[in-house]
Amino acid sequence: MDLTKKQTRLKRWEGWKSSSLAFQAQPFYFLLPAIILLGLFLFLPALLTIYYAFTDYYLLTPDQRQFVGLRNFTQIFGDPVFLRSLQNITIFVVGIIIFQVGMSLGLALLINKQRRGNIFLKVAFFSPVVMSLVVISVLWLYLLNPTDGLVNSMLQAVGINAQPFLTSPNQAIYAIILVSVWQGAGYQMLIFLAGLQNIPGDVYEAARIDGAGKWKSFLHVTIPLLRPTTTLIVFTTLIAAFKLIIQPMIMTQGGPLNSTMTPIYYIYQTGFTDRLVGYSSAMTVVFGLLIVIVTFVQRRFAKEDL
Amino acid sequence: MKLRVLVAGMVSTALLLSACGNEAESDGGDNEISLWVQTSSESPEGQAMQGSVEKFNEQFKGTYTANIEFIPRGGGGGGYEDKVNAAVSTGTLPDVLTLDGPNTAAYAESEIIAPLDGVISNTEDLLPSIVEQGTYEDEMYAVGYSESSVGIYYNKEMLEQAGVDLETLPTVDEPWTWDEFTQLSEKLTDYYEVPAIDMGLNDNSEWLMYAFSPFLWSQGGEITSEDGRQAETVFNSEANMKAMSFLQHMLNNDYTTISPAENGFETGQYPMKMSGSWTMEQLDTNYQDIDYDIMPYPVSPDTGELVTPTGSWQYAMSTATENEEGAGELIDFLTSTEAVVDISLANSVLPSRYSAIEEIEDDVSPQMNTLIEQNEASGKARPVLPEYPQITRSFQQTISGLPYYEDQAGLQELLDEKAKEMQTSLERRE
Repeated sequence: MDLTKKQTRLKRWEGWKSSSLAFQAQPFYFLLPAIILLGLFLFLPALLTIYYAFTDYYLLTPDQRQFVGLRNFTQIFGDPVFLRSLQNITIFVVGIIIFQVGMSLGLALLINKQRRGNIFLKVAFFSPVVMSLVVISVLWLYLLNPTDGLVNSMLQAVGINAQPFLTSPNQAIYAIILVSVWQGAGYQMLIFLAGLQNIPGDVYEAARIDGAGKWKSFLHVTIPLLRPTTTLIVFTTLIAAFKLIIQPMIMTQGGPLNSTMTPIYYIYQTGFTDRLVGYSSAMTVVFGLLIVIVTFVQRRFAKEDL
Repeated sequence: MKLRVLVAGMVSTALLLSACGNEAESDGGDNEISLWVQTSSESPEGQAMQGSVEKFNEQFKGTYTANIEFIPRGGGGGGYEDKVNAAVSTGTLPDVLTLDGPNTAAYAESEIIAPLDGVISNTEDLLPSIVEQGTYEDEMYAVGYSESSVGIYYNKEMLEQAGVDLETLPTVDEPWTWDEFTQLSEKLTDYYEVPAIDMGLNDNSEWLMYAFSPFLWSQGGEITSEDGRQAETVFNSEANMKAMSFLQHMLNNDYTTISPAENGFETGQYPMKMSGSWTMEQLDTNYQDIDYDIMPYPVSPDTGELVTPTGSWQYAMSTATENEEGAGELIDFLTSTEAVVDISLANSVLPSRYSAIEEIEDDVSPQMNTLIEQNEASGKARPVLPEYPQITRSFQQTISGLPYYEDQAGLQELLDEKAKEMQTSLERRE
């Protein structure tokens, strides 16, 4: 008897739930602030950018903008600076993925063991992450000064010739990779550290019983078990790396000879310095699409880990 | 419960909207004139401006009241120009605003600023470079309230020690040619085994355009054609090749460098430095041990013509003003001899009027007078082009690219490439 009562009550409740508009609308009240914020600062600007990409919007004459069809897009693919910036960002992203992920894994392994001074190392490795990128760029600008910088003095002390670093079209982008890795690796290190500490000790024990040495257990236990962590790190690092702008802006202004010009920096320059908002929006759309494609490809490859 | 959710939603929405709201514009009718300037009210320049505005309000008591608003710019002029750009979109420009010299064309072309027909009294008293800088398509749109110049600073002791007779150094009336200047540089480089001169080549900014374009002009070269539509065949001309060869020669022989030691001249490491009037103030306050003087720009051996950098911030009337007369009076007042004298003395800058030069001549240092004299005799404004940002960037990259091209063929390649880039920029908006 009791049971049927409960059942009818439940049915009535469910009936109300599915029919009442007020109830169904309830979750949207909770979402409202987020939706408004996202709409104003993400969706609306994104849609406007797509619209502007097809216009000749000039920053100083917003009222006179006209629809120009695909003109901006045809110009982009003949723009040597934009094409060069894509080349540069490819080098940068590949460099960052290899060195930053490698470096952060190395650092995580280093501080994963219990030993004296661990806290100091942890803080030391992580501290560049909390520093402003502008400060770090200026700092490295001094360190990498070809004439009286610290790095060259150290190189010369061990018998290596002074290097031009940021003033060389061949070295500048790598110098920026170095600085970025130094700055960013501490963050991924912490994620790797969490991943490492999640690997149960008995797996290592089993490996040891099976006769695996340190290197073998790293290769066959640590690496495979860190796979989900690695995937996550590669994902987030990759997207962040595409957005490179501050380091070249402060350290090289995109030079020498556009060797450190990045897409975002060029988009910023054409939009705000040259005032060609339409053209700049078109580049944003193209670059945005490229990132979307890269992300999709990446998801395909990493399906099982996500 | 539901009510609370609703209220929370509404409150956050309201907060959001109020955060986006505009601050009210001070538009106090016919008598009030709003003025935007790019400096901070704390700076000597800002204080001189404030002083001039107060004098204006005193003189026009009952008729006009000017309100000055300080919008300090960040590095590269960012903050202030962003604000102007935003005001263009929202239609909230003030009556009078300041703008940097190279922006004249873009602002005039976009009808942000209005022509100053008959507004400025005594225009023939303005330096030609000031008129040139503020004129777009034969109409004057903006007036510089000061002027700037660049000279070759040299350390007297270091030159004497290296065996240079200071009496033989050039003057504004008899400047040295590039060849003579190169010889001096060679002598100093050999003696001190450091680059003879810091030309600021590590500064990848407007400096490169501002300081180095006069070398082209001295040789008779141009950056674009006179109508501003043609850069190919103009920028990669033979004259420009010659001027660039001089710089390339200086670099290839290490007489100058793209990575100078920090404050090399100020600390007595380098015997010479190419820099503007602002370095004088730095030397006089922070590096008093350096006994320095200034010599004029070296000139092309073919023409012997002295051409030197100029440029300044200017006042202009916005097209949004409903009080053209009052705005005109204010601009005229702020660029009068008195106001120009005030700002020149307060901010250690060069005056933009002949009459102001006469007034301060006796009050400033001999070094400053060299720059003033040079400016009066040979100052030339940078190109007045709506596409200036792209043109100056290509130019800057040409200068900063010089060290990577060793010979004449390489140099030609660089100039051709940059001329083409400029041409594309000029045609992009057509």
